[in-house]
Amino acid sequence: MVYSSILDWIHFPDVMSNMYYPFDVYNLPYDISYKLWELLGGTIAWLINLLLPGNPVSTWLICDEVVNMFALIIFMIVIFLVVFIATLISLWEERKVLGRLMDRRGTMIGMKGFLQCVADGLKTFMKENTMPKKVDKMTYMWTLSLVIGTSVLIACMIPLSQRWFVVDYSTGLLIIMALFALAPFFILVSGWGQNNKYSLIGGMRAAELMISYEVPILIMIATTALMAGSFNIGDIVNAQFNSTWYFIPQIVGFITFFFCATAESERTPFDIAEAEAELVEGWQTEYAGMKWGLIMLGDYFRGYVACAMITIMYLGGWLLPWDPLQINTYLPELTFLIKTWFVFFMMIILRGAIARVRPDQILNIGWKVFMPLSVVNLAIVLMLKIGGVY
Amino acid sequence: MSLIVSYIPLVVVGIIALGFAPLAWWASRFIRPYKPTEWMETTYECGSDPIGEAHVQFRFQYYAFAIIFVVFDLVATFLMIWAVAYGGLSTMATVWMLLFFGMSILGVTYALKKEETVWI
Repeated sequence: MVYSSILDWIHFPDVMSNMYYPFDVYNLPYDISYKLWELLGGTIAWLINLLLPGNPVSTWLICDEVVNMFALIIFMIVIFLVVFIATLISLWEERKVLGRLMDRRGTMIGMKGFLQCVADGLKTFMKENTMPKKVDKMTYMWTLSLVIGTSVLIACMIPLSQRWFVVDYSTGLLIIMALFALAPFFILVSGWGQNNKYSLIGGMRAAELMISYEVPILIMIATTALMAGSFNIGDIVNAQFNSTWYFIPQIVGFITFFFCATAESERTPFDIAEAEAELVEGWQTEYAGMKWGLIMLGDYFRGYVACAMITIMYLGGWLLPWDPLQINTYLPELTFLIKTWFVFFMMIILRGAIARVRPDQILNIGWKVFMPLSVVNLAIVLMLKIGGVY
Repeated sequence: MSLIVSYIPLVVVGIIALGFAPLAWWASRFIRPYKPTEWMETTYECGSDPIGEAHVQFRFQYYAFAIIFVVFDLVATFLMIWAVAYGGLSTMATVWMLLFFGMSILGVTYALKKEETVWI
């Protein structure tokens, strides 16, 4: 092949014709990153070839393996950035809506207050690093990284549409819920490792909270799997598209799952592990500066994941039941994000409306209210299933 | 496509997800100040001198609930396996599963009733 002009280096081939293509079906973020690398790598290869004609590096830069490798690296950044911005928008939404609920305006400066999140991030970035002498350094740092790491990982694993995913698992819902439920364990260990009384109580409360909401959530996931016949997120969404959104037959489950998901992401009124009015900052008391900022960000990642789970399981995921504008074909990702932000909006209203539950109430709420409701929900769905409605 | 190849994107995304926090923390060392004082290194207890250690025997009051939780978590796992396989199961399998689940529910109800009086 003769390389004379720049267009010989940048030729945008069909992404699926690459023999190292790592997916079975078309994947949009990978396609975007593939084309980005074609542009970037092709330009670099062309420049090198101008200086040193006929060198092997240029052809190496645009061969199938190398393009695939760099495309994967850009793919990881694309996936992360989209989730990151979606989370920042939900953070901004919380500030604005919570401000309105309290009869004030919320953040105002910079893109209607959106840049306040960025400014806060920068501020925590420049804070001094403090670490008390008496903490157990291993658990102190490792649990922090793992809490944030698993939160970011599950946020990245949520598929935004049939074409925007990382891996199309047949057990997607289950894997995400399993990783989601790991955080209270790390919080418990961290609360012990910090050697602070508030942290210890906060960690114990995180475990207590987990004990009360985890079983109802598992039963409701089983109910959704019973209705859709699969744990695959794409299958669940398509099953809802073919019948009705599941919040209509499972209205009991929807409301219960909404509360349980709020508890799972440790947001008010279920943030008894943090409880800044009684426990200083709960299990985060000894984390200062950048570490605290990262924990806050991780919290919002978990809130985003909880809302995304509700969207997937009850609100039809990325598909609309009827779309005259063909949004389902062109912009399913946007539909998904808007639904997620709507669920987050409801969570903010819940936060503004209800006072924090007491730690001795949460177990009774979990086992004597949520649990029977989830079993009732399962019974209703089983009835519908036996009756042949679904 | 083999299973391992299809999980490569997850591994790549996992690198940034799990490395994000340590990386951000490490990167901030170049611009953050460093002026350690004695007060920064003490355990925080609302401004007063900390009293004793926090590595104490802690009485958490939900012991009974923790035991019920461990048992019922397993039951919920069985329930999930049954739910996802429901389409290919016989009627008898469903009946057995519901019997098992109903018995577990009865047990939990009894345990919760008992917990109110025993209160461990």
